[in-house]
Amino acid sequence: MLNFHGITKIFKSDLLSQPFVALDDVSFDIPGGAMVGFLGANGAGKTTSIKIIMDFIRPDKGHVTFSKDLGEDKIKVFRNIGFLPERPYFYQNLTGMEFLFFMGALSELSRAHIQQEIKFWGPRFKIDHALKRELKTYSKGMLQRIGFLATILHGPELIILDEPLSGLDPIGRKELKDVIVEVHRKGKTVFFSSHIVPDIEEICDRVVFLKEGKLVYSGQVDTLLKSNEELEYIVKVKSENLFPLSTQIVKRENYPGNLVMLTVKENLRVHLLDELIKTKVDIVGLEQVRPSLEEIFYKTRSAHAQPQ
Amino acid sequence: MLNLSKVITIARYTFKEILKSRILYSTIICGLSLIVITFVATEFTYGVPEKIALDFGLGMLSISSLGISLFMGATLLSKEIESRTVYMVISRPVPRWAFIVGKLMGLMGVLIVNVGILSLMTLTCVSLLGGNISSIILLAILFNILECLLLLLVVVFFSLFSNPILSSIITTLILVLGHAVRETQLTHFVQSRPLLKTILSFYHLVLPAFYKLNLKEFVTYKQHIEYDYLVLAATYGGLYSLFLLLMIIFLFNRRNID
Repeated sequence: MLNFHGITKIFKSDLLSQPFVALDDVSFDIPGGAMVGFLGANGAGKTTSIKIIMDFIRPDKGHVTFSKDLGEDKIKVFRNIGFLPERPYFYQNLTGMEFLFFMGALSELSRAHIQQEIKFWGPRFKIDHALKRELKTYSKGMLQRIGFLATILHGPELIILDEPLSGLDPIGRKELKDVIVEVHRKGKTVFFSSHIVPDIEEICDRVVFLKEGKLVYSGQVDTLLKSNEELEYIVKVKSENLFPLSTQIVKRENYPGNLVMLTVKENLRVHLLDELIKTKVDIVGLEQVRPSLEEIFYKTRSAHAQPQ
Repeated sequence: MLNLSKVITIARYTFKEILKSRILYSTIICGLSLIVITFVATEFTYGVPEKIALDFGLGMLSISSLGISLFMGATLLSKEIESRTVYMVISRPVPRWAFIVGKLMGLMGVLIVNVGILSLMTLTCVSLLGGNISSIILLAILFNILECLLLLLVVVFFSLFSNPILSSIITTLILVLGHAVRETQLTHFVQSRPLLKTILSFYHLVLPAFYKLNLKEFVTYKQHIEYDYLVLAATYGGLYSLFLLLMIIFLFNRRNID
């Protein structure tokens, strides 16, 4: 659907300032029908990448190629793209309805079509009651919802969202995520950036991970998780007075009700279980330690932050 | 054809957005002040009250519409970029030129409404005071619109590579120079210095000579204007505006919208 190839972007605010490399030879693909999360800390280059995809700014090196299915030239491609910028404000003095008609007309939709889409999506976004009000009276969540409605109004094949969930309360985030998933299930490709790692882990099948302008990972979320599995196991036992064990334990945690959680490396789990069975300790559970995407994200960030 | 309809859509909603921002309240205030000032001034003059009304009216109309051009024009693009509204428009199948032309047309629409309201008030005052509404007054109003368009394009041009405050200051200087250059050329000081005279004659080749579009002097003092002058002035204003518009489109197409 989209190929971001060898992109380098350098910013220089004036002649005397040091050039700042915002993106350094970054390449990734967004396959058709995928839900791709775009991860990275502040200043990693996510918004710059999205601006380059949308042709708001031009790269110093590299190019962005869209699939022929989207269209042959820029205007045709943009008919099939829906884009929502970060923290949008929109036209404050227009009503919600006027704004949607404005956006729909620019996407070459007829009035009847726009009305039909508003009728369908308005209640889903819980915004139908406010469409006659001016946008300056909208809350942040409402602006985000009407922005997303405007983004999908013309049924785009590729939806690009820059931090769509930031600033929303948990309920607002859940509602918007549900709609993003629903749109994705209809076969649309979704690419969205976020700081909220669990949200990406929850709904995305692929992830692009940027760090300080460089690509860290691009691919399946599962593959990233598997490659970072620490292969440790937690054995839960109930014991009043657990004697010292011969098996090397990584971590031992005591909980109320005589519950003890023992973390061991994968190669020692059978040895530990054997030892516990022999000593007739009550084993109540065994589970594999699987790091979350968030843990991997923070681990990678802090590893990079260490002096080299 | 499709792009033209997008230009009109952008112009229509820009017009709506600006109108709702209550900019025309200032027009109404200007109009009401005009009526008050005119009637007070006529009390202190003898014999030509309608001329006073016309002078004040055209002056107020000119200041108000040039002010709107200058200040709304300086922030026309920067506001769009700061609030990221530009991204919502140009991420759709809309060429950049259509966006900028639509925005300019929308703002011009507001200016025309402003000029229309103030013209109506001026002409009403003149009529009530027994003056004639000649075609030259209507021409002066039309040329005022052309002057506003030219000023708007100058300020938008500078706003493409500077901030709104700087572009407003530069444009104000150009406006003052553009009106003063002819009188300056006629002074003895310039006439006696060939180098200065040559430099000032080049002014017309580079910067807009706004004085050519100012017909207020003809309205107030001469009551007659050559047809050739009108055609030349309109052509000058039109071509200069077209040149600036093409420059703005060229620069906006190449510019990073960041």
